[in-house]
Amino acid sequence: MIDNGLLVQMILGALLGLSVYLPMAAGQLSLATPAFYAVGGTLAALLSTQDNAQAGITLGAMVGEMFLAAGLTAGLALLVGLPVLRLRGIYLAIATIALVEIVRVAILNLPFTGGAAGIFGIPQPFQQPLGYVLFSGGLLAACGWLCQRLEASRLGRSMAAIRDDELASRCMGIHTTRVKLTAFVASAVLAGITGVIAAHYLNTWNARQGSFDVAITTLAFVILGGSRSWLGPVIGGLLLTALPELLRPVGDLRLVLFGLVILLGPVLFPQGLITPALLERLGRWKP
Amino acid sequence: METLLQTLLNGAASGGVYALVALGYTLIFSVLGVINFAQGALFSLGGYLTYLLLGGKIGVNGALPGWGLPIGLPFWLALLLAALGSGAIGLLVERIAFAPLRRRGAEPLLSLITSLGAGVVLVNLLQLLMGAEGYAFPQGAAGLAHLPESLLLGGARIRTIQVLLLAISALAVASLSLWLDKSRSGKAMRAVAEDPTTATLLGINSEAVVRLAFLLSGMLAGLGGGLIGMSVSLAGPYFGISYGLKGLAVLVLGGLGSVPGAIVGGLVMGLAEALIPSQASGWRDALAFAILFAVLVLRPSGLLGRRQLEKV
Repeated sequence: MIDNGLLVQMILGALLGLSVYLPMAAGQLSLATPAFYAVGGTLAALLSTQDNAQAGITLGAMVGEMFLAAGLTAGLALLVGLPVLRLRGIYLAIATIALVEIVRVAILNLPFTGGAAGIFGIPQPFQQPLGYVLFSGGLLAACGWLCQRLEASRLGRSMAAIRDDELASRCMGIHTTRVKLTAFVASAVLAGITGVIAAHYLNTWNARQGSFDVAITTLAFVILGGSRSWLGPVIGGLLLTALPELLRPVGDLRLVLFGLVILLGPVLFPQGLITPALLERLGRWKP
Repeated sequence: METLLQTLLNGAASGGVYALVALGYTLIFSVLGVINFAQGALFSLGGYLTYLLLGGKIGVNGALPGWGLPIGLPFWLALLLAALGSGAIGLLVERIAFAPLRRRGAEPLLSLITSLGAGVVLVNLLQLLMGAEGYAFPQGAAGLAHLPESLLLGGARIRTIQVLLLAISALAVASLSLWLDKSRSGKAMRAVAEDPTTATLLGINSEAVVRLAFLLSGMLAGLGGGLIGMSVSLAGPYFGISYGLKGLAVLVLGGLGSVPGAIVGGLVMGLAEALIPSQASGWRDALAFAILFAVLVLRPSGLLGRRQLEKV
């Protein structure tokens, strides 16, 4: 059944789903979420194992790491996004795949990131998984609230306009590059701070945490849940993280299953589980 | 001690394979304006099909341990049949991941996602069938036993298989270019690439051209996989994915949709990788992507690409 440990992973999955959703809400396919997630996690692992103190880490120190990770990933996203987002179409998808590979190779080869084995003994701010559930749950709620506000704001509407027709929105006077860049940076920051929490929760961190598989998995969250509202990727992330754990016998078929979701999802259910019509019916969540 | 000649030849050999992969992307990109992310998986598939057709056995972690085809074909026939097999699966990918979206007029971004899904399914099915372990090709069974292991060329020892690899990819690239240039169906493909609507008005069956592009593209990927399998080994079902990703970098380097660009880009990439000193070999896999970023910043249309103008 769902215990607190699984619940933490589900919430982290939902946060990563939101990270993939944000650029997609502006019509951009970014596969860079694992790269920023890996950067955040590696930063946390390096900082908190510096003094070899196994005593633990305070919550305040972890929040400090999250701010640092946010700054670092935002800078990296600007560096990558500025040249690439001037271009339209498929360039962002290609460039973000490249970023995932570069970050993975860098973490594998840099002299201070522990090579293939990674970094061990990352201290825990919480003694029980329940602490992580409450902390990351709070973060997820805050992100959800922000996204809800975003959808009604000028920025959110600009993103939706770009998604529908980038050329027309540019003609309407929307600074498309700036809007796309904002969405990309927000996505990077969210993935980076999720990485910090994940590194502490998992206790160890290595290059495999940010592999291409994570891009597939998190993309499946958004496709299954639907990318028309922030609720879609959250539900998709929660469900698809829980599913393989609940269906233990599936085992090796996990990635086949996720692959089928992103292969058949856009063909059979273009809007995902959480469609605008469903939100309309739920009334309170009017988009 | 590796001489410069050896280094260059090794670089050209892997560059030839990169060019094959990038040409596969180019064919589909020029007729549909989309990228087929399943290309890397078709590369893996070609490698495994070649292995089985040469008489290789499935390892202990596979679904049928110890099973193998009761035949051992000569290497050229195995490569050809494996390429055809990958081409056939490429057609299937078109049917499932591209055709329904195209008919609905959905945004092209979605086919990036569906083709990625097709690739993931394919690679993981390969893993279920063959196991995650690497495979070395059966020695001698490759029909290469009567060839010497290495040649002496200009004072340098060069593995015969590298020469063969370079020759086969050059042959494939040359015949593809010639076909595009001279043949009736090749001209039809170029017409569709230029303007699908006008091509259809001129009586060209553009759906058939699209299917042909997917078949050829799958064959190029499968051939690349078979060649790499023969000259190096199969390092698990994911080995094709990294070639697929590097092929993307080559595609951008050469210029999206440019056939000569894909060839030149492949060679440049292969040579650049070969010239990395062995002390820094851990970073070799990042080079392609560093080049990719540099191209996107400095010259997004690539070495030989045309600047894309947009009609509104």
